[in-house]
Amino acid sequence: MSVKLRHNVRVTGTGPATMVFAHGFGCDQTMWRFLAPVYEGRFRTITYDLAGSGSSDRAAYDRERHASLHGHADDLLEILDAFADGPVVFVGHSVSTMIGLLATVKAPARFAAQVMVGPSPCYINDGGYVGGFTREDIDELLETMDANYLGWSSSLAPVIMGAPNQPFLRAELTDSFCRNDPDIAKHFARVTFLSDHRADVPHSTVPALILQCSDDLIAPRTVGDYLHRHLPVSTLAVIENVGHCPHMSAPTESSRAIDAFLADTLR
Amino acid sequence: MAGALPDSRILFERAACALLATDANGLILHANGLACSWLGYDLEELAGKLRMPDLLPVGARVFHHTHCLPILQVQGSVAEIQVDLRNRRQERLPMLINIVRHQVDGQVVDQWALFKASDRRAYEHELRTARKAAEAALDARREAEHQLQALNAQLSAADRRKDEFLATLSHELRNPLAPMRSALDVLKLKFGRGAEERLLGAFDRQLRHLTRLVDDLMEISRITQGRMQLRRAPVDLSALVHGAAHDLAATIEAAGHTLRLQLAPAPVMVDGDATRLAQVVINLLTNAVKYTPQGGTIDLVLACEPGLAEIRVRDTGIGIPADALATVFEMFSQLEPALERARGGLGIGLALVRGIVELHGGSIRADSAGPGRGSEFTVRLPLAEGAHCAPSGMAADAGAAAAGVRILVVDDNHDAAHMLVMALQLFGCDTAVAHTADMALEVADTFRPEVALLDIGLPDMNGYELARRLRLLPGGVAMTLIAATGWGQDKDRQRAFDAGFDHHLTKPIDLDQLRTLLPQATPG
Repeated sequence: MSVKLRHNVRVTGTGPATMVFAHGFGCDQTMWRFLAPVYEGRFRTITYDLAGSGSSDRAAYDRERHASLHGHADDLLEILDAFADGPVVFVGHSVSTMIGLLATVKAPARFAAQVMVGPSPCYINDGGYVGGFTREDIDELLETMDANYLGWSSSLAPVIMGAPNQPFLRAELTDSFCRNDPDIAKHFARVTFLSDHRADVPHSTVPALILQCSDDLIAPRTVGDYLHRHLPVSTLAVIENVGHCPHMSAPTESSRAIDAFLADTLR
Repeated sequence: MAGALPDSRILFERAACALLATDANGLILHANGLACSWLGYDLEELAGKLRMPDLLPVGARVFHHTHCLPILQVQGSVAEIQVDLRNRRQERLPMLINIVRHQVDGQVVDQWALFKASDRRAYEHELRTARKAAEAALDARREAEHQLQALNAQLSAADRRKDEFLATLSHELRNPLAPMRSALDVLKLKFGRGAEERLLGAFDRQLRHLTRLVDDLMEISRITQGRMQLRRAPVDLSALVHGAAHDLAATIEAAGHTLRLQLAPAPVMVDGDATRLAQVVINLLTNAVKYTPQGGTIDLVLACEPGLAEIRVRDTGIGIPADALATVFEMFSQLEPALERARGGLGIGLALVRGIVELHGGSIRADSAGPGRGSEFTVRLPLAEGAHCAPSGMAADAGAAAAGVRILVVDDNHDAAHMLVMALQLFGCDTAVAHTADMALEVADTFRPEVALLDIGLPDMNGYELARRLRLLPGGVAMTLIAATGWGQDKDRQRAFDAGFDHHLTKPIDLDQLRTLLPQATPG
């Protein structure tokens, strides 16, 4: 199967450089629908679904290869090999920030810059490190996923058609958004929330923007500060936003911070 | 109007579910009576002060952030979210939640509807527990299968290494055998008639034995490694089985066994490698000889079934225990008692036989009534394309025609005489054998043969002379005399007829032709 089909890769936009968007835990590339279009005039933009998410090829989700984020990082490098020529600007959200970071360590020459939206190298508290969660919290998340995926074909679906944000959505999007395979989603949740890549952070030399929300349960400020301290080349930008998805709830502020960073970095 | 709706505030306040309105960040703007009551707060304590996500336990909050909010953002609503809410007393309330997003005066307002779901949750919890147990069992089975596969892979790797080792070993062992054979042949030429004859004989026999063992080993290696090539051609199994019996006649005789040969009356054609198939029959016969105590009986049968040729080798030997029948064709499998009796061998003969038979698209099976009760090996091979069995009547007729006829076979070549006798016995004839003319006259006197088949080149007197003397015996005039010579020219025939022969046959003797010459059995 081609890389394109395997990861449902979509290429749009035109520009001398390529910008690659990788979605976070829980959803799929649809998450970028508010931010990615901003860059289509200046960049070739690539969005894709992580293995096991969205419309990726379910058969390509390999519980051994994807037992750690390294497998996803290798996926990313394969996508770059297939679709990008020069070094790219990588934009990752949530877990994909670490997938991108691992890829920059493996193949630094493939990256011009990395934008980390809501990053965290380790979610679980560990001694003096505050990741924000305990092991019990993660177990509770898995429980909640279990409960809500029980009848996953109907739960989480929009009950009321014609909701205000609805009309511009295509029907197939409404049907498919965030409908991930329950078993894979739980496996991926475990891989994501039990990962600890603090040791890899100092080895990523590609200039990084840490896009931090002022109030983010999943990536608290302390984690943003930690990354800023340990990344060799990084800029920290804090956006006034409650939640974990500034690219959805605050796309304008997000792109402003990214633009400023790119202006500095890509000179 | 009688059915007019109450005021919307009353509808909101007294709704049968908890209703709340929040801003995009989940900050509570309004809550109805049930919401306040379930959560344990006054409206003043909630509105503008508490955020809904803060009432969720941490795990549920992560789910809300990573799943519900993006969907709400993109689709405008989510439904049937199952989470716990914590009330003021930090008690967990299992809830089913729907959220729909609206724009009110340019501001985002999320409307939440909450339903208690304790019973449903308890029930689903049970379902989930059951599913987990089932999944755990499945995982355990997968793991077990995985281990089994790994183990299998290890075993096949070990097996492959063993095959490679055997191939190398047999090849390396074989190399020194050829010069040893040549040297021995030279020694035999030089000293064969001297005092060392017995020593050289022993050397010769043991070297042959060793060579055969190594050859077997090499061939089984070829088969297990899929490297044995068959040279296939149409083969008549009748001739082949006959030849194999002939080759082993001396061995069988030395062991004091009786070989009963029963062949299909007409050629039985298969598409095969004659050398390999002969090896099959010889191996089976050798085994029968080896595993049958002295003085046993060995039956060698070739039958033609529709589409199939069937070779059966049956003995009266030590037999095979029922539990060993399944493994008898595996390499290195030998019955323990056989080992104790020191019959030797590597235990690859039958593995080789099966390998060859299977390469021919055939099958082999072993049967035995148990230890001490003999064994029977049955080889089935597909007939060559277009080949058919001869009508079964022929065999019966031919056999019946000659049944009971008394025949004296005279030949100084013991093997040739023996083979002829075996063939004639197959026809149902009564046979006697003599290797010299003197002996023939002596036997004929008491045996009173109806037919005498005479070799012409006898050591003490030629066949023509013997024929004349036989005619002089009582009943000699009626005797059918058949000459067997290596020459088939007219003058040779004439000479035979002049000497009183009734018929003349050219060697090697065509059994079918011989059969036509035999008279009908004399009644009584």
